Amino acid sequence: MAFLVFVTMGIALWHFTVFLPDRFWQGIVGAFLGAVIGALAFGTVILLIDGQSVGNTTIGTALSAIPGVALGLGVIWLLGRREPHFD
Amino acid sequence: MGSRRQHLFVLLFVLALVAVSAVIIASKETKLGLELQGGLQLVYEGQPTGTNTEVSGEDIEDSINIIEKRINSLGVSEAEVARLGEKNITVGLPGVTDANRAAEQVGTTAQLYFFDWEPNLIGQERTIGGHPGQQAPPAAVKKLEREWKAAGRNPESFENGSLIASGAFPNAYSAALLAAEQEPDEDCENCSSGKTQYYLFEKDAPHKLLAGPEQSKEDLYESPTGETLPKDGLVIEVPPGTILVSELPTEESGKLDETAQPGWFALKDNPSLSGSEITEPKQEYTQGSGEPNVSFKFTDNGRDNFQQVTREIALRGAASAIGPVGAEEAAALSGHFAVILDNEVQSRPIINFQENPDGIDGRQGAQISGGFNGEHGLQTAQELATTLQIGALPINLHLISETQVSATLGSQALHDGIKAGIIGLALVVLFLLLYYRILGVIAVIGLVAYGTIFFALIKLIPITLTLPGIAGLVLTIGVAADANIVIFERIKEEVRAGRGMSSAIAAGYKRGISTIVDANVVTILTAFILFVLATAGVKGFAFTLGVGTITSLLTAVVFTQALLGTMSNSKVLRSPSALGAGGEGRKWHFDFMGASRWFFTLSGVILLIGAVALSTKDLNFGIDFKSGTRITAALEKPASEDGVRETLEEVGVDNAEIQQVTVPHFGSNVFQIESTELQPGEVHDTEAALNKKYGVDKEGFESTSVGPTFGKQVAESAVKALIFSLLVILVYVALRFEPKFAVPVLIALFHDILITGGVYALTGKEVSSGTVAAFLTILGYSLYDTIIVFDRIRENVPRMPRAAFSQIVNRSMSEVLTRSLATSFTTLLAVLSLLIFGSSTLQDFAFAMLIGIASGTYSSIFIASPVLTAWKEREPGFIRRRQRIAEVEGGLVPAYADDVQVAKLADDNETEAEIAADIEAEAPAYEAVPPKAIEAPEPEGAPEAASAPEVQEKAPKAPARAARTTDNGDSANPESVERRKRNEERREKRAQRRKGRRR
Repeated sequence: MAFLVFVTMGIALWHFTVFLPDRFWQGIVGAFLGAVIGALAFGTVILLIDGQSVGNTTIGTALSAIPGVALGLGVIWLLGRREPHFD
Repeated sequence: MGSRRQHLFVLLFVLALVAVSAVIIASKETKLGLELQGGLQLVYEGQPTGTNTEVSGEDIEDSINIIEKRINSLGVSEAEVARLGEKNITVGLPGVTDANRAAEQVGTTAQLYFFDWEPNLIGQERTIGGHPGQQAPPAAVKKLEREWKAAGRNPESFENGSLIASGAFPNAYSAALLAAEQEPDEDCENCSSGKTQYYLFEKDAPHKLLAGPEQSKEDLYESPTGETLPKDGLVIEVPPGTILVSELPTEESGKLDETAQPGWFALKDNPSLSGSEITEPKQEYTQGSGEPNVSFKFTDNGRDNFQQVTREIALRGAASAIGPVGAEEAAALSGHFAVILDNEVQSRPIINFQENPDGIDGRQGAQISGGFNGEHGLQTAQELATTLQIGALPINLHLISETQVSATLGSQALHDGIKAGIIGLALVVLFLLLYYRILGVIAVIGLVAYGTIFFALIKLIPITLTLPGIAGLVLTIGVAADANIVIFERIKEEVRAGRGMSSAIAAGYKRGISTIVDANVVTILTAFILFVLATAGVKGFAFTLGVGTITSLLTAVVFTQALLGTMSNSKVLRSPSALGAGGEGRKWHFDFMGASRWFFTLSGVILLIGAVALSTKDLNFGIDFKSGTRITAALEKPASEDGVRETLEEVGVDNAEIQQVTVPHFGSNVFQIESTELQPGEVHDTEAALNKKYGVDKEGFESTSVGPTFGKQVAESAVKALIFSLLVILVYVALRFEPKFAVPVLIALFHDILITGGVYALTGKEVSSGTVAAFLTILGYSLYDTIIVFDRIRENVPRMPRAAFSQIVNRSMSEVLTRSLATSFTTLLAVLSLLIFGSSTLQDFAFAMLIGIASGTYSSIFIASPVLTAWKEREPGFIRRRQRIAEVEGGLVPAYADDVQVAKLADDNETEAEIAADIEAEAPAYEAVPPKAIEAPEPEGAPEAASAPEVQEKAPKAPARAARTTDNGDSANPESVERRKRNEERREKRAQRRKGRRR
């Protein structure tokens, strides 16, 4: 259940990247991957540190995905800087 | 063959099909599923036996054959036994209500073995009971009696006394301890169980047996009855070569005491004969006593073995006698021959050495007697005889799910389903007639033909009609209507573009068919995946949906085309308004791509709410997933929820959720009980307790019981179905369109799944295997809209060679939005009728479908297309186009390609003639467009004629080509140079104005 929450948070926050200039690696699809993978990876790390069970979710589970989304998007953005872009 | 003749031929063919279908409908019975006609559904999981360590496909098939024979012997007609997944067998027993008896009859392994009793006893029990006729050592007996006392069993009672005299232990734990001490016999070829067997006991005395025998320790904790087994229990390993058996005591009258606890023995696993060595088992009566018995004969090999073992027993008895003995003493000295069925001693007759000094001649056969004198003795004997006749199952069967449906409630559900279907159909028909007029009439005729042929197919195949199947059927009404809507909208476009009727119909079908095929193929593929992977109940839904979708292709496309083609020259089709194509029609001029960021925001917010709901409220998984039992019981005496709870607690069912409900036919004294503790096979006790206190209306009792094994399988198959569906959809879209089109589809599907998850978490509605199946199918179906949009984008890309991708998408969306909304609306009508008028199962399906359709339609328009646009616009070709347009338009790209012209009109108040001249000046931009479409008169019904949007796109461009060819280039024409200059100035002015506005 925790993974479902992470993915939902990742995709939810990804929707707001439309307000950012399209400089992500592979554009909106790259941002999608970054948000989802970031949320999953960071959320899982927090889950492991916290020692909580996967099935036992709280509001904290949802919030713990946010830094992961930011990190994931950041990495994709950095990768995208190498690509030529046309605004 | 001319097209008119071809149409007539198709018409006649379909009409003949309809006529044949009508005959089939009138003459054949509809096969109703258990939930519609009442009965019992059992699901067994195949597990290894001692001698058969792996469950193979052949074992499952053999077991199915044996179960079918057992059911036939029960006299149950139209029973269904089928393989489910890899190791499961589902058994449907219409009309059967005694779940316990049926489960016992169907699922008993019936491994029969015959043992020479005394030599196979071991340890203390051998000391006490191993020497018939001799006084057992008092110390050993005293010790055993103390054990019985310590186990809380009275050693003084007659029943227990006889067991103690045989050396029996009071519980399985003591016998298992003795068995565990024995040396393993790894090469035991003659054993009934050649493997180590594991038993789990309670940690505290008297160490109640919790589970076993199992082939591995892990299996001990996967209890088929779903009990939560303590991890700190005591596990005892019984090595190969030794087995544990139980034996019920007999009363003073000699009758078997079925209610008493058994005694336990550890035996050397060395049977003398097995069930495979007997023939012709039948129930008879013992001469003299008149008690039922089971007599049988032996095979040649069995006869010899039987003679030999009884001779050995007789010789041993004779050897223990000192001198001549009387009949009574001879009986006391004689050894026993035990008949053991599934590790339970059925009978243990003596082999009297005086009567049979050379053993018993196997030619006369033998009989099992003494165990059939209880209340159900005759029935038990008959059942055992039948079981032996049919043979033993090659594997053990564990009951993992049990569903009992009353005939009355089943017929009520059927009635509700039919009502919902009819109302849904009526609503769809009404919409089609109002919106499409004459075309609507054609669609309705197509729907009637579809309904008739499909219902005949249901009867002919036959498809067992289940509640989920009815949901699938109603959904296919929407699918069939959608196919017509896609084509009709296309025809209307063509008519509005000025085509002749025949030509418009031909073009409409020609261009609509690929969209319909694409959309339906995805639906069929999803249905197929569900059919292969899903559980029994959902299979009906998937199969009905798949067959229905294929049938709808015949009626909604081939048949209606023939019908319209035949009528194309008739008076009724002459006026466009008769088709609902009068006037300009609904023109969407909305900047879908520009507004998409706000829709993205909306989706983001919804998903954030969903994520919070999922994390804090969790999904309400039904018993399909988490295991347990749901009972609906109509009680005869007035009862309250607390009263029912107390009654349940008396039979050990704690923490049950109880709700008083009102059910048609049974009023308001009906209770819904849900418990995670109550497992398959344990419903009977609950029903009995309720019946004793309040009286249970037999027709008003239903139950569904799912064990944890089945729940796990259901969850696994749902996840597999989801992954496979997504993969198939991905591959299909990538192949039919281009790989880049598949990714937005996938993202939109994720969006739909998560929104639905959020809605279910927020509303707390139960998630069952049915709702997951309905939702998965809807995922496939909701692609209908995406495919309609993508299909038009694919069509428009080559037609708009200088437009930005966002402009192409905006144009495509504006062209197809009406039909997308119409298809979704039609299906929603059908689904809404299920939601309002269907039974609770149908409502579950309908709710999932409703969310799926709503979210699917939304995501096709506002998620998939914008993502595709954003991604495609990164391609160099489209980047150049945007740059070019932005250059011309002062840095902005208009929402629609036509806006260049619209803007010119608005800004400069030019006349139409001037604009035409402008366009002429820009002629090279449209070189890719061939002029033929406009220059040549449109041939009626020409298959390759340009489509409606194509005509619109080409209209202003053709003169440009003409001008260029006649003028031999713009530069040679001074007027053109002047015009170009004027255009430049105009563009500059516009760009400055826009910059000013922005500032």
